[in-house]
Amino acid sequence: MSAIGLENLSKVYASGVTAVSGLSLDVDEGEFVALVGPSGCGKTTALRMVAGLETITSGTVRLSGRIVNDVSPRVRDIGMVFQNYALYPHLTVAENIGFALANKGVPRKERNRRVREAAATLGLQDLLGRKPRQLSGGQRQRVAMGRAIVREPAVFLMDEPLSNLDAKLRVQMRAEILRVHQAIGSATLYVTHDQVEAMTMGDRIAVLSGGRLQQYGRPRDLYARPANLFVARFIGSPEMNLYQATLDDSGDLVLGSQRLALGGRPTPLEGRPAPLEGRAGRPVIVGVRPEDLLLGPGETTSSSGSGSASASDSDSASDSLGAGTLTADVRVVEPLGSEVHAIFSIDAPAAVDPDLTASAEETDDLLPGLAYNGVARLDPRTAVRPGERVTFRVDPARLHFFDPTTGLAIGWPGDRAPDQAGARADSA
Amino acid sequence: MADTLTRAARSHPAARGRLGASWVQRRDRRGVWFVVPFLLGFLLFMLVPLGYAVYTSLYTYRIIGGTSFTGAANYTQTLQSGEFWSGVIRVIIFAAIQIPVMLAIAFFFATVFDLGVAKFGTTFRTIFFIPFAVPAVVAAVMWSFLLEPQFGPFTRLAGALGFSGTNFFSPSLLLPIIIVIVIWEWTGYNMMILYTALKSVPRDVVEAAILDDTPLWKIIVRIKLPMVRSAIVMLIFLNTIGALQLFTEPQILASFYQGAVSLNYTPSVYIFNTAIAGDQTNLAAAMAVILALVIVAISAVSLVFRLRRGEIR
Amino acid sequence: MTVRTSRRERRRQARLEEQEQSIPVELYGLRRGTVPLLTALAFLFATFTLIPIAWILINSTKTQANIFETFGFWFARPFDFFHTFSLLFQNVDGYGTYIQWFGNTALYAVIGGVGATALSAFAGYGLARFRFRGSRVAFYVIIAGLLVPITALTIPLYLTYAKAHLINSIWGMVLPSMVSPIGVYLMRTYAEISVPRDLIDAARIDGGGELRIFFRVALPLMVPGVVTVLLISVVAVWNNYFLPLLIFNINTKYPLTVGLGLWSGRAVNSGDADLYPMLVMGGLVTIIPLIALFLVLQRYWRGGMLLGSIAN
Repeated sequence: MSAIGLENLSKVYASGVTAVSGLSLDVDEGEFVALVGPSGCGKTTALRMVAGLETITSGTVRLSGRIVNDVSPRVRDIGMVFQNYALYPHLTVAENIGFALANKGVPRKERNRRVREAAATLGLQDLLGRKPRQLSGGQRQRVAMGRAIVREPAVFLMDEPLSNLDAKLRVQMRAEILRVHQAIGSATLYVTHDQVEAMTMGDRIAVLSGGRLQQYGRPRDLYARPANLFVARFIGSPEMNLYQATLDDSGDLVLGSQRLALGGRPTPLEGRPAPLEGRAGRPVIVGVRPEDLLLGPGETTSSSGSGSASASDSDSASDSLGAGTLTADVRVVEPLGSEVHAIFSIDAPAAVDPDLTASAEETDDLLPGLAYNGVARLDPRTAVRPGERVTFRVDPARLHFFDPTTGLAIGWPGDRAPDQAGARADSA
Repeated sequence: MADTLTRAARSHPAARGRLGASWVQRRDRRGVWFVVPFLLGFLLFMLVPLGYAVYTSLYTYRIIGGTSFTGAANYTQTLQSGEFWSGVIRVIIFAAIQIPVMLAIAFFFATVFDLGVAKFGTTFRTIFFIPFAVPAVVAAVMWSFLLEPQFGPFTRLAGALGFSGTNFFSPSLLLPIIIVIVIWEWTGYNMMILYTALKSVPRDVVEAAILDDTPLWKIIVRIKLPMVRSAIVMLIFLNTIGALQLFTEPQILASFYQGAVSLNYTPSVYIFNTAIAGDQTNLAAAMAVILALVIVAISAVSLVFRLRRGEIR
Repeated sequence: MTVRTSRRERRRQARLEEQEQSIPVELYGLRRGTVPLLTALAFLFATFTLIPIAWILINSTKTQANIFETFGFWFARPFDFFHTFSLLFQNVDGYGTYIQWFGNTALYAVIGGVGATALSAFAGYGLARFRFRGSRVAFYVIIAGLLVPITALTIPLYLTYAKAHLINSIWGMVLPSMVSPIGVYLMRTYAEISVPRDLIDAARIDGGGELRIFFRVALPLMVPGVVTVLLISVVAVWNNYFLPLLIFNINTKYPLTVGLGLWSGRAVNSGDADLYPMLVMGGLVTIIPLIALFLVLQRYWRGGMLLGSIAN
């Protein structure tokens, strides 16, 4: 029996807007599940339905197996941390944390003890007499957590608790939250728009978009095997490079003017649409992660002989499969110190992101000569210059394929057709 | 960003004009002109009259001898006048009863509508606010008719309930009646202010309280009420200042029921009668100054209170 | 039929949407019967609020005798409404014509209200967006102005007028009404909130004169605050009794408040059978415009601005 169970949960507002549609997932006891997606994807609404702060249009919410649709949030035994902390401004930290206990009529001695315990877990012992306006953002966030944990609820709900903190504090608090989660051990449903937070904190991640669940699984699975274009774009930074391509009759990938031999063809997973074989001559969307574009030998001129760090990997890949190559024009080079980002353009059309028409900040109207459609992550010693034409090596086994109409994944890298010898274990 | 711009502009040598002022400072000085019209009016219609009143209060006009400087004589006369003080005490009693009752009703309904625990909230709120559009004169007239000692509907109602012969304008009932009238006039306005204040309480704080299983009365009294405390305090002060200056309602009632309202019923009425009916403008000036000082003192207390809590920048 | 249903539906929809904005009532854990009880209490107070208004509406149609003798809350023959209404246009007892008082009030209220709004908008903007020497001091002085009670100021004003021969001057009524410290405070607060400094600087860089920037850039952003101050100022002048009572002694200059006050006294003393109905009718006609103004401007008016005048 899971701690939290959502079955076909939907929320439609009076104005006709559908915030959540058919959401089903479960959170096991003691599990930390991250609910992630862009603004407006319905994740907060879903969380609030679990809390009971939002009415449910259809579907069920179960807590510890019990349907709680009509149960008041007062008695659902949940602790919630709000995005803006929602502390009682005129009460001290101690009173804030102990408020729920006071409501229950817990005697003062017992109440103080539990408040002090919760405060100690969060490092708030010296702040118990202060009021919220005298606290920093991080301290307030911890008080909000203290208020949630002091009641020892069965379930924790967190609504973007870190989004109001600065970047450095956020990294610190991520670890803090996980530490507290491990100490308390209750199931936690954690909402965030930051995929890094989700990836680093969640035992499992649920990606939402437009009110619908896109994929639900372990972080590594979502990264290695995104189920559709949305997840492929959303998880991972820099974003996966996606292009419109076609498969010709001989099973090669045609990307603009270039050709990529695929070697072994990815096999479909059960329930997925038509395998790649049936798609000869048809269009397909191909994705390659920035770190899977390797710079071929001869291009790394900064240190002779040592080669790029990826040389050994790519050598074995190219040996066994005959790695394909992609030629691209480098437009911008971003040296980050730990790696180099080469922003390039290849003469294949990028797969259009339907959401981009809405968000203006992603629309670049660069001058034509500077247009780009891909990013590669390269070894920091790589000497590449803007304006150069480079040849990337890419292991076809690391390509992702998506159906252009449905956006669903067709196959994942590393899957081998049954007739291919030497099936390599998925290293992802 | 604007500050950086300003700082940079101020320090750049080329920005300094001939008189040494940067273009930023010159630009800023032009802002004075925006404020000048108001300040001019403020000077002419607030400060000058006040000054003139103080000046006048220091003189006395006698039929024989004309106007002469009498210094503080008018002030001592006022402060020693039993009539003046009885008016003062009356408005204090008036304020002490009217304000809490009115605020209680206003807060009650503001809370009810804010929580949405009564139906037709928007309609009710509009209705309650209507008296704000009614001048005090008209309100006093309306209530005078309603409470007319012989024929008024309420008098008849009282008769039907067994209280025949009730005279709402008898000395014992007059002040309570004025209290009712003023409550009628101002509850809606106060309720609107409190309603807006309550609405600005962040929703998630109340949601957190719900998740903490807080009973409704506690949500209202322990969470929402303290968060609108500053609005309540200000309303108390605002209403007090208004109450101490009570004039229109007694004045109109006096037209209807001569004899019910004495000449010194409230300080403002007394000042008015002294100046107009009694033609003792100097004395009236002194009284006005005293009244102004008292009210300014009370307002100043509230101002300091708010400044300390950092509410005015 | 279809039109009526859809309008009702639309209102129901709007109410549902508004309900979704606030916390659902079920979460408060109320006992059954609390909502009807509270609705009943609200209804009681609404009745209390509307009784005088209903009375004045109904009794404006009655003759003097009927006002006193018939049941206060229902009509009676003869239906004298139009006759009484026409009397408002005449100078019945030599003490003034209602319609003239109405015109005066409208004049004072509009000029005073608009003037107050204009002065406050200018001053508020100037204090909010310019940092000149003394701007802080000026602001504190204005706050001090909030402290000065109106009634205590009026006698001095009267005395000054008497000295300066400004008695019975329209400007004597209108100009002081234009000085509204609370309006300045509200406008300054609103300008701070809704007119970004960057926008002004950008307009300056684009070469705009300060006045033009004020009218084209700042003022449009301050509209809700302007409407609120306008409303408050107009109401304040319309309802003002003490000041005009002192400074006007020619009845042709009286505003409605003073005129009606005059009639109150005269209705009791004189034997004129028309004065009572005229008083009632006059009261009714006085309050209709303001109530109508409120109802119309409800959409634009921000209750929050009223609050801003009281607390931050």
